[in-house]
Amino acid sequence: MNLFQEFTKGFVKENPVFIMALGLCPTLAVTSSVENAIGMGLAATFVLVFSNMIISLIKNLIPAKIRIPAYIVVIASFVTIVDMVMHAYFPAVHKNLGLFIPLIVVNCIILGRAEAFASKNNLTRSLVDGFGMGFGFTLALVVIGGIREVLGAGQFLGFNVLPETYKPMLVAILAPGAFLVMGLLMGLMNLKKNK
Amino acid sequence: MKYYLKLGFILLIITAFASGILAFINSLTDPIIKINEKKQKEEARLEVHPEAVIFDSVGVLNDEVVYIAKVEDGSIIGYTFMAIKYGYSSDIKTMVGVKPDYSINKIKIISQAETPGLGANCGNPEFHDKFLGLSYDNLLVDKDGGNIISITGATITTRTITNSIKEALNSLEKLLTDHSLEEVAE
Repeated sequence: MNLFQEFTKGFVKENPVFIMALGLCPTLAVTSSVENAIGMGLAATFVLVFSNMIISLIKNLIPAKIRIPAYIVVIASFVTIVDMVMHAYFPAVHKNLGLFIPLIVVNCIILGRAEAFASKNNLTRSLVDGFGMGFGFTLALVVIGGIREVLGAGQFLGFNVLPETYKPMLVAILAPGAFLVMGLLMGLMNLKKNK
Repeated sequence: MKYYLKLGFILLIITAFASGILAFINSLTDPIIKINEKKQKEEARLEVHPEAVIFDSVGVLNDEVVYIAKVEDGSIIGYTFMAIKYGYSSDIKTMVGVKPDYSINKIKIISQAETPGLGANCGNPEFHDKFLGLSYDNLLVDKDGGNIISITGATITTRTITNSIKEALNSLEKLLTDHSLEEVAE
């Protein structure tokens, strides 16, 4: 697999949300609008790239038996650092993304990639994988968030896109809407794959 | 046995190292975060009382300082205080500016972590405008028979903010009466 394929595999073929079904908790929680989806996606990408980098660098120093707690320590520390630095130096960004940052720790995409990829591959590949998976995750969130926002609020990125007469389908923006939209999209992906 | 001790020891090194880095970064960022928060509160005070020039502290409410807002010639145009209550999923802090007759001048949500897309919409300026000019008696959500239209899918959030302001108004009146009594006594 060349580097370019490594990068693009996360978009559709190994999409973390739709195909691997990883990181579903944040996916369901933050996709009520496109803006939140982009925020969560980029924040997770950021952490994913750096945790992949660090874990691929220290993979040989950690005994296999304690690798999971060690990875979690690395990821959690990194998320906390991002949180603190952002809070101090970019308060405006932190105000918008602040809610999502602690959620990144429990995003199993990060731990999943650390365990399945970064601990077995070299630095360059791990970085590329981090970016690819991160963007794939962002893409999935934006698609779900877009559908829910248009159906549930008649808006896209906060702009009205449907005529005034459209009565928003509230269920799309509430929690059940997340399950419905994600389930239908997963079904579509499987349908396409099985053809 | 020796092997497991070694594993624990390695984990100890990793966590000690990580917490060392975190402590160091926290010591760098914590003062800046505190300054930012202080500045944010000052800006919020000005936002709920834009005409005010002087803010004098008169007491403490909900662990936050209550200020008297005055214009240049020293006449009182109102008070600012913080209303805090637990909403649907977080403590909602609202900076409230009231006129001397305790009707609301303006409010601003300072911090909340409600559901994104639903309760979190209480941070929008459109929501703040719903409270303009309301006084103690008509601070009621539509579901309770009042005029404040609740945020779609977030009645609890709306109700919490409304009630937190109500409760704080109660304590404010008491605080200000005590305060003026003290001044007389002096």
